[in-house]
Amino acid sequence: MEVDIRLPAPRGRLAAKEDDEITLVTPGDVITSDTGFMRGHGTVMEDDSLKSTVAGVVERVNKLISVRPLKARYTGEIGDVIVGRVIEVGSRRWKVDVHAKLDAVLMLSSVNLPGGELRRRSEEDERMMRKYLQEGDVISAEVQNVMSDGTLSLHTRSLKYGKLGQGVLVPVPPSLVKRRKTHFHTLPCGVKIILGNNGYIWLTPTVTESNTGGYEVDLSPVSRGDREEMARLRNCVLALAEQKMLLYDTSIMYAYEESLKFESKVLLKSEVASEIAELAQQRLEHEGYK
Amino acid sequence: MPDTRRITGPEETQSPFAFCPQFLAQSAEAFSDGKRRDGRKAEADHRPVFLKAGLISQAKGSAFAELDKTKVVCAVYGPHEVARREDFSMQGQISCEVKFAPFSCRVRRQHVQDGREKDLSTQLLEALEPAVRLDSFPKSQVDVFVTVLENDGSALSAAITCASLALADAGIEMYDLVVACTARIHGTSILVDPSFSEENLKTVSGEKPGGQVTLGFMPSLRQVSALCYHGDTDLDVLSQATQRCQDTCHKLYQVVQDTLVKSVEQRMNNS
Amino acid sequence: MVDVNLSEAEKTFIVHGIQDNFREDGRSNEEYRQMDLETGLMSNTSGSARLRLANTEILVGVKAELEEPKPEKPDVGRLEFFVDCSANAAPEFEGRGGEELATEMMNLLYRAYSASTVLDVSSLCLQSGKLCWVLYVDVLLLECGGNLFDAASIAVKAALFNTKIPSVKVRQEEGEETELEVSDDPYDVRRLDVSAAPTVLTLSKIGHNHIVDASQKEEACCLARLMMAVTASGSVTATVKEGRGSLDPDSITEMMQVGKRVGKAVNEKLLETLKEEEQKGLKRKTVGFLR
Repeated sequence: MEVDIRLPAPRGRLAAKEDDEITLVTPGDVITSDTGFMRGHGTVMEDDSLKSTVAGVVERVNKLISVRPLKARYTGEIGDVIVGRVIEVGSRRWKVDVHAKLDAVLMLSSVNLPGGELRRRSEEDERMMRKYLQEGDVISAEVQNVMSDGTLSLHTRSLKYGKLGQGVLVPVPPSLVKRRKTHFHTLPCGVKIILGNNGYIWLTPTVTESNTGGYEVDLSPVSRGDREEMARLRNCVLALAEQKMLLYDTSIMYAYEESLKFESKVLLKSEVASEIAELAQQRLEHEGYK
Repeated sequence: MPDTRRITGPEETQSPFAFCPQFLAQSAEAFSDGKRRDGRKAEADHRPVFLKAGLISQAKGSAFAELDKTKVVCAVYGPHEVARREDFSMQGQISCEVKFAPFSCRVRRQHVQDGREKDLSTQLLEALEPAVRLDSFPKSQVDVFVTVLENDGSALSAAITCASLALADAGIEMYDLVVACTARIHGTSILVDPSFSEENLKTVSGEKPGGQVTLGFMPSLRQVSALCYHGDTDLDVLSQATQRCQDTCHKLYQVVQDTLVKSVEQRMNNS
Repeated sequence: MVDVNLSEAEKTFIVHGIQDNFREDGRSNEEYRQMDLETGLMSNTSGSARLRLANTEILVGVKAELEEPKPEKPDVGRLEFFVDCSANAAPEFEGRGGEELATEMMNLLYRAYSASTVLDVSSLCLQSGKLCWVLYVDVLLLECGGNLFDAASIAVKAALFNTKIPSVKVRQEEGEETELEVSDDPYDVRRLDVSAAPTVLTLSKIGHNHIVDASQKEEACCLARLMMAVTASGSVTATVKEGRGSLDPDSITEMMQVGKRVGKAVNEKLLETLKEEEQKGLKRKTVGFLR
């Protein structure tokens, strides 16, 4: 038992890389007065000039100019992998918190029913909805559609999606999750990680994995070894997020490997966390990752 | 808006006794002539207890408790629909309100609930919640109102015992009755069921002030549902005091049970 | 309290972890998270402190004011606590939303500081029955990340340590009105002796075990907890049980033993940190809210 009360030190951030292509703007800044551009997200046309409405990075794709805010609620795109928490059971639908402006909707018709069979949804199923997923349950899903008001409609019609069992949910800013081909990884240390595009990261031991759409949850105790790996990964993810580093399998694995010289609980200390993040970044640069 | 129906009086008034030296002089002696200040013989002696269930006819359940001069009355209403429901929950709720009658203490109490009364209400809720089967009345609420008619010490424990009796009288499903007991730690002595003057004993200088502990206990389950203490003492003394409270609760349990049986019998004879 | 809704499986995971003495973030059951503490950062107060415990952030300001003592206690000054659960911390606190939690915290603080030995309140009295210092201790909750009670009490103790009361001389000549002479020398101040002041330690019962410094997720798994105020010497000044569950007497004894041990350690470390900060003296740069 050790109690650590310390005086605050101005905590440093990792130095940002010099990159002259990045233009940062604040709301009201004129991005260009050239009329030949198209107005994208985060900008507004006023007095013949394009002005920014958020603080962030200017992005230019051909003629389209948009500003990506530094901090934003998650806005989904079709095909995104998300991790969310069920917050309400409604008629023929579940409402899911996905860290977005609006709660996402999971229709009863867009889930795989237990056993994975495809059939008409009967009234029986409607009554059983709370049996399948209830308030508080964590699910992984894919964005099926983005409605006009921004509400996400989800589906879990694949065996890789569905209810999640024992594990740890780590929320990070959504913009830190790097978009990749796959967001499901089984890391060499025996932990499965789901990097939700919405900034919810799910860590789970591989042993509890079940491929039945996950309606039956394994509640047997997780082994000490798995627990230790999960705690370590959780703290690594938080350390990277604290330093605003992009999260994907390589960066997390590098941080994990650098952290091995410490006990996992030591990673909670701010100076150790930033050291790990720094080492991971150095290694990423060294290996030529951007 | 001023409450015109009540006599509020000026905001700042003091009881004349507050300036009277005899009134202020608190004694530091717990015992005189080997007896406690109200004549009890031993530290572990409880004052005579009188309990009665079902005296407010319109309430769903009610009870009256008397620890010598401390008198408490409790009424239970409900379960009824929760007026302002927040989220979905299959559990019922209990709301507790403890109120001192304006004339119950040496100093006049205001009609509006003050901080101490709010604190007592929370403590009462703490004590009752574990004992009540909240899942037996989902989405609804039970109201428990306790009025202290006269306060001569140990008001909280009287309120808890009385309220649990009233809940049982109201036919609310419970795992066990809650019986409560207060002990006052003073120097080396632990006074069970302290009277008002014992609650306010002066600290002997150079000694730890001790303090006061109230224990809510469910005797059949052997579980503690409430424990609140304030003062300054060592852990061993505190443990000793809670142990003594626990022993007393076992004794009181009998009385509460008898009262309930009696009230049921009476009702059967009447019908 | 700000609730986190957890799934059955997540709760199971946490409960099993605690059984194993290995928690979600790698801590053992009796371990605290890192705390950042700074005092004397608000210029308009007599004393102030800011405490950050993981995501919990608490700001405490103490203001000393002169008032008439209460007639039933003419020879002592007093402490008045007020807790504000600001809507900054959680949108649920908006309006009257945080009142319940605030009252609970306030009552616990009053309880913890109720004994006369905790803080020498008689030294706060300037003139019996006429004039005394009242210390208004205002606790402001800026962010909630679990274990609010412990954090608040530690911040309160730190703020009281930091409190500087200006020296006042009372002069009364026959037949004349009382005259106060407040020293205008900023260094001519009185400090409070907080060596016997308690800090709160919350023990959450989860499954069959109990833990200290519960995170928000762990609090969601907890049915009953015991909060106790412990001083550096190991004496207990308050205990309150909280939550819907009940506790068996044996585990209460066990929890209190743990509480006493950890509470002592917290107090010792706190005093050490406060002294370290004081030694840095005026050269110290306030960090404030920059993180």
